Amino acid sequence: MVGFDFKDLSAEAIRFGLAAKDFSARELAEAALERVASVDEQVNAFLQVTPDAALAAAEAVDAAVASGNLDTLGPLAGVPVAFKDNMNLLGTRTTCGSRMLETYKSAYTATCVQRILDAGGLPMGKLNMDEFAFGSSTETSAFGTTKNPWDLERVPGGSSGGSAAAVASGMVPITLGSDTGGSIRQPASFCGVVGVKPTYGLVSRYGVVAFGSSLDQVGPFARTVRDAALALNALVGHDPLDCTSQPCATDFTANLDEGVEGMRIGVVPEFMTAQGLEPEVGEAVLGAIEKLAALGAEIVEIELPNAAAAMSAYYVIGPCEAFSNLSRFDSVRYGYRDPGHADLGSQYEASRSAGFGPEARRRIMLGSYLLSAGVYDTYYYPAQQVRTLITDDYRMAFGECDCILAPTSPRTAFKFGEISDPTTMHLSDIFTISINIAGNGGMSMPLGLGSDSGLPVSAQLICPWFKDENMLRVAAALEREYGTAPIAPAFTDAVASCDTQSVSFGEASRNEVRHSFPDESAASTAETLADFGGPASLSGMEGE
Amino acid sequence: MKTMEEVLRDWEAVIGLEIHCELTELETKMFCGCKLEFGAAPNTHTCPVCLGLPGALPVPNKAAIESIVLAGLATNCDIEKHTLFYRKGYMYPDMAKNFQTTQGPKAFAMRGWLDLDVDGKGAQERLDVRDLEVGARVQSATRTETGYTTHIGITRIHMEEDAGKMIHIGGGEGRIDGATHSLVDYNRAGTPLMELVTEPDLRTPEEARLFMQKLRQVYLSLGISDCSLEEGSMRADGNISLRRRGETELGTRTEMKNINSFKALHDALAYEICRQAEVLEGGGVVVQETRHWDPGAKHTITMRTKETADDYRMFPDPDLAPYDLSDEFIEGVRAKLPELPDQKAARFQRTWGLSAYDARHVIEHRDTAGFFEVAMAQAGADAETLAKPIANLIINDLAARRSADESFDLATCPFTPARAVELAGLRASDAISSKQEKEVLEAVFAEDKDPAVVVEERDMKQVSDAGAIEAVVDAVLAANPDKVAEYRGGKTGLLGFFVGQCMKEMAGQGNPKLINQLLAEKLSV
Repeated sequence: MVGFDFKDLSAEAIRFGLAAKDFSARELAEAALERVASVDEQVNAFLQVTPDAALAAAEAVDAAVASGNLDTLGPLAGVPVAFKDNMNLLGTRTTCGSRMLETYKSAYTATCVQRILDAGGLPMGKLNMDEFAFGSSTETSAFGTTKNPWDLERVPGGSSGGSAAAVASGMVPITLGSDTGGSIRQPASFCGVVGVKPTYGLVSRYGVVAFGSSLDQVGPFARTVRDAALALNALVGHDPLDCTSQPCATDFTANLDEGVEGMRIGVVPEFMTAQGLEPEVGEAVLGAIEKLAALGAEIVEIELPNAAAAMSAYYVIGPCEAFSNLSRFDSVRYGYRDPGHADLGSQYEASRSAGFGPEARRRIMLGSYLLSAGVYDTYYYPAQQVRTLITDDYRMAFGECDCILAPTSPRTAFKFGEISDPTTMHLSDIFTISINIAGNGGMSMPLGLGSDSGLPVSAQLICPWFKDENMLRVAAALEREYGTAPIAPAFTDAVASCDTQSVSFGEASRNEVRHSFPDESAASTAETLADFGGPASLSGMEGE
Repeated sequence: MKTMEEVLRDWEAVIGLEIHCELTELETKMFCGCKLEFGAAPNTHTCPVCLGLPGALPVPNKAAIESIVLAGLATNCDIEKHTLFYRKGYMYPDMAKNFQTTQGPKAFAMRGWLDLDVDGKGAQERLDVRDLEVGARVQSATRTETGYTTHIGITRIHMEEDAGKMIHIGGGEGRIDGATHSLVDYNRAGTPLMELVTEPDLRTPEEARLFMQKLRQVYLSLGISDCSLEEGSMRADGNISLRRRGETELGTRTEMKNINSFKALHDALAYEICRQAEVLEGGGVVVQETRHWDPGAKHTITMRTKETADDYRMFPDPDLAPYDLSDEFIEGVRAKLPELPDQKAARFQRTWGLSAYDARHVIEHRDTAGFFEVAMAQAGADAETLAKPIANLIINDLAARRSADESFDLATCPFTPARAVELAGLRASDAISSKQEKEVLEAVFAEDKDPAVVVEERDMKQVSDAGAIEAVVDAVLAANPDKVAEYRGGKTGLLGFFVGQCMKEMAGQGNPKLINQLLAEKLSV
């Protein structure tokens, strides 16, 4: 039995713990596997668990620790990490949540996954998602829905629903997701965790199954801003295999403690009065603005006059790129093949009809139509023009501010089946889509629970191109105000064998600012450690 | 069916070419690091990118961009500084991603041209130019001494990737009809491929053939491709339509794809001219379609009818950033331009006094041009005298060997530039006759010996001693008094008879020029 409460450990705490030999990487891997085994039956975040890969990686970390070389290990040494199932990891299945790739085994490893492994992360498995990332609720997955850990009758958001739910239920401290129109930020918001969509080009897309190539970006989920920043440190940088990736030498943890004094925070009035924005979300975001102002930030009103057209542009550009990207799934070389066809045309048709689900088929047909002769000029070209306008809007706005604060999602998590109309579903991403269109970085930051629903609400922080450290800095300031994102209450005591020691983490150091979270025992490990004076105090937590 | 010449009296053919050329001299593929190698075991040069595996991304090969800019500069194109790669969608297993990455409305190279010199029999196909005076023009053709010159516009040269190779099993001769299954080899998938598109400026099959040949010379001089027609690294699609002479509207065209020999290109177009004329003259309409040239049966058959244009759903490839070429880059490439075939031909004319015709044909192949230059260097002071005879050896004898034997390799054959100089020298000094020259050349090839050694061994030196020849001439005339009388009576055609008799007496070694001269003198007395 493990004598530490794995679920509460942040990446940073894991580092301290390994250094102090409070636990081994193997114990961490086993604890994470145990945690997944006991929790995921309810949440269904994992499509695949990879114990062998996790234990092998743990062994390498332990060997380095044993030989006194912990310093040579990367920043995520011993940290269990799981990946959205559109990310290739050699030898694992990469299904994209689709029948089409149900049995597809990766022949290579995605750069983002490799960088996590190089940083010492333990690969725990692959996470559920909307089919090919088409969706905002993870309901379009061919392999069942993932439940929101805060309310199992509600969706976790999507498309990276598995990634958000796995962190929110304390199965792993860090997961990766991908975001094409809000697919990291919206589920992070629904599940009350930190989710970062970096500036387009910051993280390599090589090996991540493409949805909208000009929109897709990979980013981390975590419960603390610092963990997200550590993950980002591992992920960023030029990749010779992705010619849209850019060099980056930023340490994203460097300015987290600097506070927001003197920072200019942009607020978009139109967003705050947008139709469909639920009052509890609006209230929370306004509350965050007040707190930032109180901390010394300058609040400036900015205009994004063309942002309203983002949705229209997105539903042209996204399907066009998706149509083309998904054309390789043709049943010939890999993937689902409908049997018994004598000619290629009928094999294509039958295999793609059966292999793709309704939302995927809808987007493929839409893209196919939008790119066809005579139609292209009417939609695709104007959509690109709109894209230029929106990009310019953000560029202008960031002349006046260092970071924009807005809602992430207009509402909190909805119930399964509650939204069946695709267009209404698409509106979940109303505040996130324009950021993908413009390529800026954006992240979702938990602001506690909604006054009405009692479910997590969030603010979205948006940064200028390649100034992602700006939004992380603001996020860290908010985190100090609101407290670290807790594990969803239903899962705080899920593992009986692990919870005996958790109390020692529960000593809240900032009770006064954590009032909005019901369970104060879920304080940040990092903060707790700081309060206790660092790793030495962990020695009392040695297992039996 | 009428002959092409008959057809061309009433009809004008309008021909455009699309010529694909793989950049075989590069190390790696267009968008991944896989090695380029023809003939490797199937699917051994593949990776996630060229196999179109989920998540793989393309990264352009800079050396390929350099090559196409070089090709553009060599064919008088404007280089477009700002271009995009596009995705051209089509579902077929030879293209693993089910789209081909190619270029859109703007290609790296646009608006170029090449001038063609057409002469010999091929020039006769151009009926509207044939009877013009030298210097006179019709359309873009100008009549020359030996034929005509014509200006062919190049619309564009764009960069794209080649597809994999499909192998159909179970059908006849590897064809898809009747095949039970197909195999795909992706070694070729992603090979950098340049596609050149001409304006519809070509008027005869010979012009089309010459254009492709000249383009091949240019590409070879640039060292960017092996331009192997047999291995398919260079291949042409021919578009052709007919219109009544004097009309300016274009007729409906047919297209023949993947033609991989100069002769096939000529013959397929010539056949189409005749076929379309028959259709049109019979009151029918030409159907816009792709036709397949069957070189064995010497006809074209319908492959695919185009009711409507294919919809490739082209759009800019979002994985590849817009390509911006700097002036520095372009000038850097320009500095690498080698001497081009036309420049080389001009230099050969200038330096060694070759005629335009000879120079053009000497440089037709890279190896013959090099051979000629080495020979000229070795000829030293005699270079100018021997230039024409050596050019003749190249244009006539070596060309014949090359066309008779596909594996003919000038670089390794026994006939070296030094031996060419020696042979041409023997002939120029009248040491051997032109007939003997051929015999010596045969022997050089067969026995790998120097020409002088062959002449020595066979004792075949030409007799140019005037005294010895005069004795023979006198004897022949004395032996044929009746023929001498007939000649003097006006049957001057008998001169050949006397020459033949003299040569016979001298075992073929008499100098024919001297024999002729002496006979003419003595018979006219």
